[in-house]
Amino acid sequence: MKYILAALAIGVLAGYVNNNFGFPSLNTVISDYAFNLSLIALLFFMGVLFGADKEALAKLRKTGFKILAFPSAIALGSIIGGLVGGILLGTNVFASMGVCAGYGWYTLTGPLAGQLFGLEWGAIGFTVNFLREITTIVTISVARKIDKYAPVAMGGATAMDTTLPVIVRYCGQDTLITAFSSGFTLTIIAPFAITTIAALAH
Amino acid sequence: MPNLLDVARLVLPLVTGIVVGYFLREKKRLNLGKIISGIILVLIFSLGFTMGSNGELLAVMPNVGVTTIVLLAMALFFSILFVKAARKLVRI
Repeated sequence: MKYILAALAIGVLAGYVNNNFGFPSLNTVISDYAFNLSLIALLFFMGVLFGADKEALAKLRKTGFKILAFPSAIALGSIIGGLVGGILLGTNVFASMGVCAGYGWYTLTGPLAGQLFGLEWGAIGFTVNFLREITTIVTISVARKIDKYAPVAMGGATAMDTTLPVIVRYCGQDTLITAFSSGFTLTIIAPFAITTIAALAH
Repeated sequence: MPNLLDVARLVLPLVTGIVVGYFLREKKRLNLGKIISGIILVLIFSLGFTMGSNGELLAVMPNVGVTTIVLLAMALFFSILFVKAARKLVRI
């Protein structure tokens, strides 16, 4: 996470400096080629991981159909949250729903929202989802009192990896499968949800 | 504005990846962690670069803060609310 923030900060600085003192042609190379190629490569390799992971699918199957109630509720809740937030702010509701449909996966949502809804939404997509992960970790001792599974809801897609150890530690070992499968399902749904919302906007 | 071609261009590599991964199942353990981390760094750097080189975007950044907080709060609130409702519904 440290490296990601550093990469973002260095990128912003490099872009700013280059725009004011450097070579405009470098903009095209990095903003178009490097950005698009790495986004496509990321989606491809994430797909390979899911496709190759026998255990993840088996775990998901073992817990049965009921467990899908969690990711469905979280997916729906996040998107409705985006809709309500978008209406409150009087902004593009498709973009605000799309950004919230990242479920905490900021490395995907930032670039994807930037591509689909414009650069400003890329920045919002990154920060909303980045803060979702941070908020889940920071508020976990309070959130688990609201509901045992509130941290799973807050963590969204991150409940399968980055926030998983924290959730299990504070909410109990029995939340492991639920948290993992919820995060896993949301991770699969996120790119499809964001792109579908963008397609609806069109 | 997004168009269907953009959407297809992003869904295609994901679906292709899943299919490729499915056929690589029997191969020895795939170690993609490092590759993916590297790609993420390149991706985030170029996102930052694109943002930094866009003067108009930098000018509106202060307004982005309010949007971010409202959207985050709403997404979290409704996610928790819906999970509470779902737990009652399916009795987990």
